[in-house]
Amino acid sequence: MSIKDYKIIDHEYDVVIVGAGGAGLRATLGMATAGLSTACITKVFPTRSHTVAAQGGMSAALANMGEDNWKWHMYDTVKGSDWLGDQDAIEYMCREAIPAVIELEHYGVPFSRTEEGKIYQRPFGGMTTNYGEGTAQRTCAAADRTGHAILHTLYQQSLKHKAEFFIEYFATDLIMDDGVCRGVMAWDLATGDLHRFRGHEVVLATGGSGRTFFSATSAHTCTGDGNAMVLRAGLPLQDMEFVQFHPTGVYGAGVLITEGVRGEGGYLTNSEGERFMERYAPNAKDLASRDVVSRAMTKEINAGRGVGADKDHLYLNLQHLGPEVINERLPGIAESARIFSGVDVSKDPIPVLPTVHYNMGGIPTNYRGEVVTINGGDPDSVVPGLMAIGEAACVSVHGANRLGSNSLLDIVVFGRAAAIRAAEVIEPNTSHKLLDEAITSKLLERFDKIRYADGGTPTAVIRDKMQRTMQKHAAVFRTGETLQEGVDLMKDVFTSFADVGVTDRSMQWNTDLVETLELDNLLIQAQTIMAGANNREESRGGHAREDFTERDDENWMKHTLAWVNDKGEVNFDYRPVHMYTLTDDCEVIPPKKRVY
Amino acid sequence: MSNLRTPLSKAKGLGSAKTGTDHFIVQRITALALMPLVVWLCMSLAFLPDANYISVHLWLNSPFNAVLMIVTLIAGFYHGALGMQVIFEDYISSHSARIIAIIITNLLLFFFAVLGVFSVLKIAISG
Amino acid sequence: MAEFKLPANSVLKIGKTYPAPEGARNIKIFKVYRYDPSNGENPSIDTFHVDMDNCGPMVLDALLKIKSDTDASVSLRRSCREGICGSCSMNIDGQNTLACTKAIDDIKGDVTVYPLPHQPVVKDLVSDLTNFYAQYASVEPWLKSDTPAPPDQERLQSVDDRKQLDGLYECIMCACCSTSCPSYWWNSDRFLGPAALLNAYRWISDSRDDATGERLDELEDPFKLYRCHTIMNCTNACPKDLNPAKAIASIKKLMVERKG
Repeated sequence: MSIKDYKIIDHEYDVVIVGAGGAGLRATLGMATAGLSTACITKVFPTRSHTVAAQGGMSAALANMGEDNWKWHMYDTVKGSDWLGDQDAIEYMCREAIPAVIELEHYGVPFSRTEEGKIYQRPFGGMTTNYGEGTAQRTCAAADRTGHAILHTLYQQSLKHKAEFFIEYFATDLIMDDGVCRGVMAWDLATGDLHRFRGHEVVLATGGSGRTFFSATSAHTCTGDGNAMVLRAGLPLQDMEFVQFHPTGVYGAGVLITEGVRGEGGYLTNSEGERFMERYAPNAKDLASRDVVSRAMTKEINAGRGVGADKDHLYLNLQHLGPEVINERLPGIAESARIFSGVDVSKDPIPVLPTVHYNMGGIPTNYRGEVVTINGGDPDSVVPGLMAIGEAACVSVHGANRLGSNSLLDIVVFGRAAAIRAAEVIEPNTSHKLLDEAITSKLLERFDKIRYADGGTPTAVIRDKMQRTMQKHAAVFRTGETLQEGVDLMKDVFTSFADVGVTDRSMQWNTDLVETLELDNLLIQAQTIMAGANNREESRGGHAREDFTERDDENWMKHTLAWVNDKGEVNFDYRPVHMYTLTDDCEVIPPKKRVY
Repeated sequence: MSNLRTPLSKAKGLGSAKTGTDHFIVQRITALALMPLVVWLCMSLAFLPDANYISVHLWLNSPFNAVLMIVTLIAGFYHGALGMQVIFEDYISSHSARIIAIIITNLLLFFFAVLGVFSVLKIAISG
Repeated sequence: MAEFKLPANSVLKIGKTYPAPEGARNIKIFKVYRYDPSNGENPSIDTFHVDMDNCGPMVLDALLKIKSDTDASVSLRRSCREGICGSCSMNIDGQNTLACTKAIDDIKGDVTVYPLPHQPVVKDLVSDLTNFYAQYASVEPWLKSDTPAPPDQERLQSVDDRKQLDGLYECIMCACCSTSCPSYWWNSDRFLGPAALLNAYRWISDSRDDATGERLDELEDPFKLYRCHTIMNCTNACPKDLNPAKAIASIKKLMVERKG
């Protein structure tokens, strides 16, 4: 089939949002109500996006359950990021957290309540009062289904405001014209048609790429499609080596057990029944930040104190919380534990293991959601027409390690920020520039090539190889030797994609082709993760090197930018960390040793 | 039917009829009433001295029995009409066929109800 | 009349059989509904022999294993694989449920896997839920309040009022309930079905919502609401253990209550 035979359906909008998770929906809602013609393209029905699986909550210094201050929240986030976070963006996020969560409540999110009828807040890892002194109750929760509650409410608001959705459309590539993003190509799974969406701004809200790894809490659909589109467009990703391992994924299944369990008083034990976190984090104990807990767990297992037949996991205890707390605040966890590990949480501990959970890295943006890159000497040069929000973006508010409950916050605050910015820069209904057909043809060629790929290696085989290599070589602890090995192996896996075989040639709901396109997306991102980890010779946040055990602020307090060429080779450059605040309301938090 | 209507337009359809609750209530009230009435009717018939025309005639001659019998007939036929309507609405998808079926059934049941009530009155009054 | 027979182009044929890999000893048979819109043929049932020693515990694991190892063209929706996104709803062993939380061990004999009943099939296990979503939208499932919210603060809601939403707000819109309801099978064009009604009741129950009367007005209809005959399939099917039948009964109760 020649690419001329593909019928292309054209659309013109002021803004095109790719992805309908929390960030995408919040942006869609904001842009639609600002009077911009808005299209939201999503590969799954909005309420099936992975935001739905977020459990614990959304942080905001509301002070409903005790004293709190957004500046303390800012301090915690900077410290949690191991001083790789951009402090202007962190200030913006922590300050805007308060109106953002109030706004969500006004939209109708069914938050749990305090006795006074206010939003219930629970303690979470790394969230403290008074710059590290006490434990803060800052995480606004709807039982242990906060992501579900927020995502459904945002979808409902989008319905109310009559936002326009293109559901089960798979976005394939950005339409780039001389360094400017002009739109996005998408494939309608239901009809099999190809669509070309033109927009003055394209907003990528496509989430993370947890599925580069073998065991992840991420959904099957978390394949970082937007990140890959950016790489293919010749733009860099930032800080991709920072992958968060969530301390408590269910052993075997990899399903998430919220940090809120520990927030509500649950704790981890080893084979000796010891609460080992007391040794690693004497103050915060089980509520240290996630990288700290995951490393401690890995050390315990490596020291032979794991539980189970193979001594390869640990226990999360919540039996002592009693049925009332479990039923009211952690009902979803009780259900997941029962289904996926056969455990009755009121009687027995849950077997858990650190599991890949979140990409701190992503598409570099400023705090307004605009994508930036290095251009000449300018490290903050905005890419015209392109925005990124949510887990897909690296603002960077999470730096080297994200604090639990800061991601639901991130998506809402920056979804809203992107909408505000788009309304500022776009004049509604301005006409679109003519597009050179050659640009589209090139994108179609790639699509067509993969559709008719007739190599000898099934998609699933290459994917499995990639996932196992990533799992083994880019684990919680990393060393130069295994990373170099990983880089070499991943190069082979990347090259093997040339021999991929797709068996289904049809266009309607061809999930074989979807998975192959997703694999192509994952492979290119996996290169940035593995090579980035090999490149960064220090330990910081979620990136722990056994051969460089300390944080090296002198050489490495900078963001990695990684470009990947079509051979899978990675090139690096760096952006400085923003060590300045947005306003004079707060001061820069200087780096110091990070202890919990 | 045009298939090019939007899904939301199809789902909203002709809007809400703002009715159905009375049907729901009356169906349940008649059902409740019929429970003791049917028990009474069965018991009474079972305890008749013998099952022939004269003893039934005599039995219906009592004002108490006649009134209860009329109530049973009205409740029964009313309940039957409501129930048949539900069944037709459930299973007949063509609007016109459904309406015709409901009207015919209602007329028939109404006729039988009137016939029954009149018969009881005739026995009760003319003795 | 309601159709009690499959239309000619939907009658099932016997499809292909795929044997287990050599040496597999613990085999489970999966009979999977296949339909490809591109070839104009009737749907069929393919039989896959799956090696359970190399397979995860859930039906979704087996389906993805089939897709990875045997036939990559099998199409299904799936995402979170932990029972919260509602993508992989299908009819397994005669019951509507989520493939990701349905344990294979709980099924005796062969495992039959069909798409959700009485919905148009797009391909294989993927059904067209357009009408289902539109019905959800038609109940206007968002907070309606003419009372301005406090500017810098949340609306207050008591713990007890919030409790009223438990068992309602957790709906994941998987459509297992609605597509298991015979009333919905016969009248899905006019009956809203258990999922939409549960979501309507979720907002009726919300103490922050001012539009209870308006919402009841919109539901008071022989078809939209009163097609529910308390068959209870919805409650039996719900993979989240919610009780849509109870929610519908509560709506009916309110309808009666407001009569006097």
